[in-house]
Amino acid sequence: MPVLLLLLVAVVFAVQAVRSGSLLASALWLAGVSALTATVLYLFGAAQLAVIELSVGTGLVTVLFVLAINIAGDDPLTPHPLVPKGLAAGCCLLVAGVVAWMALSSASAAAGTFRAADLPLAQMLWQRRGLDMLLQVVLIFSGVLGMLGLLSERRSPLDGGLAEEVAEGRDRDLQRLENQLHEKPEAGQ
Amino acid sequence: MNLSPLSVALVGAAGLLGAGFYGLLISRNLIKIVLALQILAKAALLALVAAGQAAGSIALGQSLALTVLVADTLVAVVGIALGVQVRRRTGTLDVRELSRLKG
Amino acid sequence: MVSLLVVLLIALPWLGAACAALANGRDPRRLHVLAAGFALATGCVAVAALFLARSAAAVRLPLGGVFGDFILVPDGLGLLIAAVASIVGSLAVIFAANYMHADEQLSRFYAFMLFFIGAMNGLGLSGSLLFTFVFWEITALCSYALISFHNDDLKAVAGGVKALVMTQLGGVGLLAGALLLYSHQGNYEISAFLANPQVLPAGVLALLAFGLLAGSAAKSAQVPFHSWLPDAMEAPTPVTALIHAATMVNAGVYLLARFYPAFAAVPGWRLTVMIVGAASALVGGLQAACALDLKRALAFSTISQLGFMVYAVGAGGIFPAALHLLSHALFKALLFLSSGAIITALGTRDLRQMGGLGRKMPFVRAAFVIGALGLAGLPIANGFFSKDLVLESGLAGGPAWLYALMLLAVALTACYSLRLVWLVFYGQRRGPEPAHDGLPAMRFSLAALAFATLTSWLLAGPLSSLLASTLPAQALVSRSTGSLVLDLLASPWTWLTLAVVALGFGVYLLRGWLAAPLRWLRPVVEGGFGFPWLERQVIGATRWISERLQRLQTGQLNWNAFGLLAGLLAVLAVLAGAAR
Repeated sequence: MPVLLLLLVAVVFAVQAVRSGSLLASALWLAGVSALTATVLYLFGAAQLAVIELSVGTGLVTVLFVLAINIAGDDPLTPHPLVPKGLAAGCCLLVAGVVAWMALSSASAAAGTFRAADLPLAQMLWQRRGLDMLLQVVLIFSGVLGMLGLLSERRSPLDGGLAEEVAEGRDRDLQRLENQLHEKPEAGQ
Repeated sequence: MNLSPLSVALVGAAGLLGAGFYGLLISRNLIKIVLALQILAKAALLALVAAGQAAGSIALGQSLALTVLVADTLVAVVGIALGVQVRRRTGTLDVRELSRLKG
Repeated sequence: MVSLLVVLLIALPWLGAACAALANGRDPRRLHVLAAGFALATGCVAVAALFLARSAAAVRLPLGGVFGDFILVPDGLGLLIAAVASIVGSLAVIFAANYMHADEQLSRFYAFMLFFIGAMNGLGLSGSLLFTFVFWEITALCSYALISFHNDDLKAVAGGVKALVMTQLGGVGLLAGALLLYSHQGNYEISAFLANPQVLPAGVLALLAFGLLAGSAAKSAQVPFHSWLPDAMEAPTPVTALIHAATMVNAGVYLLARFYPAFAAVPGWRLTVMIVGAASALVGGLQAACALDLKRALAFSTISQLGFMVYAVGAGGIFPAALHLLSHALFKALLFLSSGAIITALGTRDLRQMGGLGRKMPFVRAAFVIGALGLAGLPIANGFFSKDLVLESGLAGGPAWLYALMLLAVALTACYSLRLVWLVFYGQRRGPEPAHDGLPAMRFSLAALAFATLTSWLLAGPLSSLLASTLPAQALVSRSTGSLVLDLLASPWTWLTLAVVALGFGVYLLRGWLAAPLRWLRPVVEGGFGFPWLERQVIGATRWISERLQRLQTGQLNWNAFGLLAGLLAVLAVLAGAAR
């Protein structure tokens, strides 16, 4: 089936994205995964969602990644992971295997074809899940503001000596409490 | 062996899940971790839309998937911005180094 | 109407706590007035609710599924606890206006005091064992926060942590009991359980009975869980008067009294309860007689008096225990607040540096003496009536040798009461000059409590009818004050008790002659009968385990993700297993 094939290719692309040796290549592999996912979504009947996923996942996010890789320096990649590779791979295979087994052995027989939506998506979104939409708008605003704030070049108030002063004060207090602890005998009777 | 569309979609989602989690566990670079999160988001999208089809409430599945899409995109955006700033201030994107920094 | 009052009893102090917490940094006088206002309002609501007490639930909020219903029952026992907490609480809050200086973190103090009062009201009024546990834990949290209020003082913090660890072990037992009840009964309702205790099989019932006894003993500072109370005296005195004299330590006695009808049939339970009470009365009394710190002496005295209450509950005397709870709350709060006035006047808590203060501090001396009269059990104050009722019920419901031990405890009580009064107010001046004789807010609270101590025995009749009419499970009999008093005065056991009290006074006055033969007792008492050593082991073990477990918190993103994955795997395993 075309869907199965597309999904298998997507999984291969995803694994390549994670294992790739350079960040730029990983971003391109991710773009591929996004495109394939968008296609599968379209095949599942969610046409609007597929378009959004294509433009946002393949377009916006990939561009942002490339931008970040440009600014943050060229692909520094550390070879020694904190969690051993074997352990990580084993666990992930186990989880994926269990989910796949549960899916394949379940008795539910869903329809062979993809039905059209019972409710037009627009009506569902704006009438039935209006609160959700409102929250998403708020989320988008705050995300954009956050990004602008983070990427601005203004110096933060903790620059220029104040951070060191606060840390020094705290170290002094800690030292005083330690001295108190060592001077006083154990608080018993 | 149940090869209905829902099962196929869930198998695909499981594969992406495994790949995304592998990336989350293996990567030490902050940008790579955001990337792995994006892969996990794709898995969630697939699963939600397929489940909506199978359960009959198709539009509900799609609207939930839209919410996940928006939220995960914003996570990627803010995460990347954070990564850039962290790199500027501390010079490193290594997660192990970052968890040791004080102040 | 009563539903509104009952909800107000919890909501009003909590609203006050929120206001106090938000009033950070504002004018301290306004904060004092705000806190006192909320506390007094709660006290008035409690008194109003007393007249509307019923045994049926006043508030019932279904919360679905595993949480059961949130039930508030305004019956006599619960309203007694709530009224004591609210009224004594408001007096302690008023006292604190003069005790706490303006540059301390007043908003945190008042917020926790009011939060505590609301939680204590909820504890008494709750009809669902799960929510009793929730309110129990909230009171433990407030107690810890208030004991360690001066959190730059290591002794205070150590005392707070010790109190927290010891009472929390009891709290875990309470949660386990609630879950056991749910699994057999299908809900958490206490009244349903009391009407039909056979819903639990005999073994489970016994487990629940002794588990709740252990939890109550920890909360009420009974042997062997009592050593946290003297160390909790690092708290500011209004906190001590409220939490560790009048309210939180009564929570254990309340729980035992509430569940008595269900557990009375469990073999050995009643005797164990009485033995725990008697042991605490003796240990507390002995240590109070030897204590060198004014507040620690009063803390040991609290342990001893709570032992009396627990002994009464074990013997089946729910009404005497409740009356003694009321009397003790009043005279102990009076004693603690007076000691607070003394401590702020002198700047020390050491008894060896007090003495001869009676001339300079007549008001505080009068208050303290009235409290001591209640403690010793002289007929003028309320302690006499409640203590005699406790002893009578113990004689009727338990073995005679325990009664003899309790008489010994009565003698010890008289002895150390006289000792405290003498050491502080009479004799030679050994320490600094007192700076004042009770500031205005202090005097108000002290006067109110002294008046209550002298007159609260008149409420015995109404209390008895309140309890009898609203506690169907306990099967109490209503008596009037007059008949109770006449019965007491006519009974020969009362005169025996008075003779023992006189003996106690005599022991103190003749202490010179008695010191030599009893010298072997001193190191035992000063070692606290070995209990502090036991506690240090328990706390050390708890700390060791928590430090080992801290290794799991690596703080590294990849390991946290691994933990996430492991959890997902566990959930999937359960789902796959269930789907088979």
